[in-house]
Amino acid sequence: MRRVAVTGIGLVSPLGHDVTAVFEAARDGHSGIHRLQIAGAHRLAAPLAATVQFDGTQHFDPLQFRLLDRFSQFAVVAARRALADAACELSDAQRDRAGVFLGNGMGGTLSMDEGYQTLYGENSDRIKPTMILKGMHNAPAAWIGIENGWRGPNLTYSTACSSSSVAIGEAWLRLACGATDIAIAGGCEAPLSLGSLKAWEVLRTLASEDTADATRSCKPFSRNRSGMVLAEGAAFVVLESWDRALARGARIHGELIGYGLTTDASHIARPSVDGQAAAMTAALASAGIAAEEVDAINAHGTGTQANDVAETAAIKRVFGARATQIPISATKALHGHLLGAAGALEFVLSLLALKHNTALPTMHLDVPDPECDLDYVAAVARAGAAGRTMLSNSFAFGGTNAVLALRAVD
Amino acid sequence: MTSLTFEDTAKRIRSLLVKDFKLDTGQLTLDARLDELGVDSIGMAELIFSIEDEFGLKLTDAAVQLSTFGEVVHFIDEALADRHATAALPSKAQAVPTAT
Repeated sequence: MRRVAVTGIGLVSPLGHDVTAVFEAARDGHSGIHRLQIAGAHRLAAPLAATVQFDGTQHFDPLQFRLLDRFSQFAVVAARRALADAACELSDAQRDRAGVFLGNGMGGTLSMDEGYQTLYGENSDRIKPTMILKGMHNAPAAWIGIENGWRGPNLTYSTACSSSSVAIGEAWLRLACGATDIAIAGGCEAPLSLGSLKAWEVLRTLASEDTADATRSCKPFSRNRSGMVLAEGAAFVVLESWDRALARGARIHGELIGYGLTTDASHIARPSVDGQAAAMTAALASAGIAAEEVDAINAHGTGTQANDVAETAAIKRVFGARATQIPISATKALHGHLLGAAGALEFVLSLLALKHNTALPTMHLDVPDPECDLDYVAAVARAGAAGRTMLSNSFAFGGTNAVLALRAVD
Repeated sequence: MTSLTFEDTAKRIRSLLVKDFKLDTGQLTLDARLDELGVDSIGMAELIFSIEDEFGLKLTDAAVQLSTFGEVVHFIDEALADRHATAALPSKAQAVPTAT
């Protein structure tokens, strides 16, 4: 198995676009969550979201722009940034073995919502002829492949909230076994249509608004947590074999050392402690490390009642008595839940936490919960606490659990 | 061949192409191939919608296969002429394909 280096990072995120600025926002507890301004927001019980400052017309010519849903716009721009950061130029032959691995949960839901508004809301047949091409789940990966002429695998994974961790993990497998030499891996999501917000709301998963400060509405692991806050954005990394990265003198952000993938196979929505614990154990096994070597964890930490209790129990099962000594960060309190892009953004934040050896804070954890009694790095970042090796957890509706193991560069 | 209605049809379709596909009027000569101007098969599907709205027509799928600007103008000009001729026959007025 070949070692895999992370040599590029590209973000379009609710915490900003510049990688350093995003890390500082996460470290300093600056929330990207706010009251949402969209048509029909008054129909939502709690119109909250973490949105991206982004004008697609600044990044694409009009002819291409009309073919791109917002989730594809995010993906292409974030991939450009990751490739620019990696500073890699591929020969034509190398492009045959260069792959795109993308996670996404909801597809081009804004375009689909718009089309259905025309069809049902306005009773008109004048749906845009581009609706299918904008809405299909694999459009963002396809556009990244087209823009760069990468002709290797171009794959889209849709496993709800673990999609982009799966994408990064599957890319790692292909790189490690030598089937692919370089990959763009990550995820994108633009779910903030009224239709999708309402659907999440009626499922009773969304946070109520913190009446004192809307930006503090998502409270992972806090006893007064009330749910998650939906978010949009994209995060991508460039992954390549360690030797290739060294040979070309690339700057290496960190090493992806393992990937655990399990399926609950029990309930469509209820998290399984067994499945989550098994995924963490599988990640350790694939990395060839013992549980004692894990210095910190980026939790899935959605801020829902069900997730936070199950994840706490799963961490205890894997790490035993040492679980209470491991700093655990839930950054969704700040950037919200990017669904299919969440795992990739959190993988990047974990890389940066290792790079700066700083455990990121779990913000808005004001009221301890007896059922969530681990060290969540409440409210204040902890310098020197991220160590050298981390796990980044992603769990999902549907039961696909993906855990990435990563290590700092010496 | 370039009747007054033909010129008017060409002008109106040219305006749609300029607006929707950011083309220059000068590019839209009668023998200009639309795919070479960036109006691919997806663009043709969009253009047909715009033309249907502009002229109050309902076009057949055959319109998607047209390749030059001139062919599109001819196709529409004939569709307009057919409508005009058919509309003159009251007994067939119900069957006229017009605005949706």
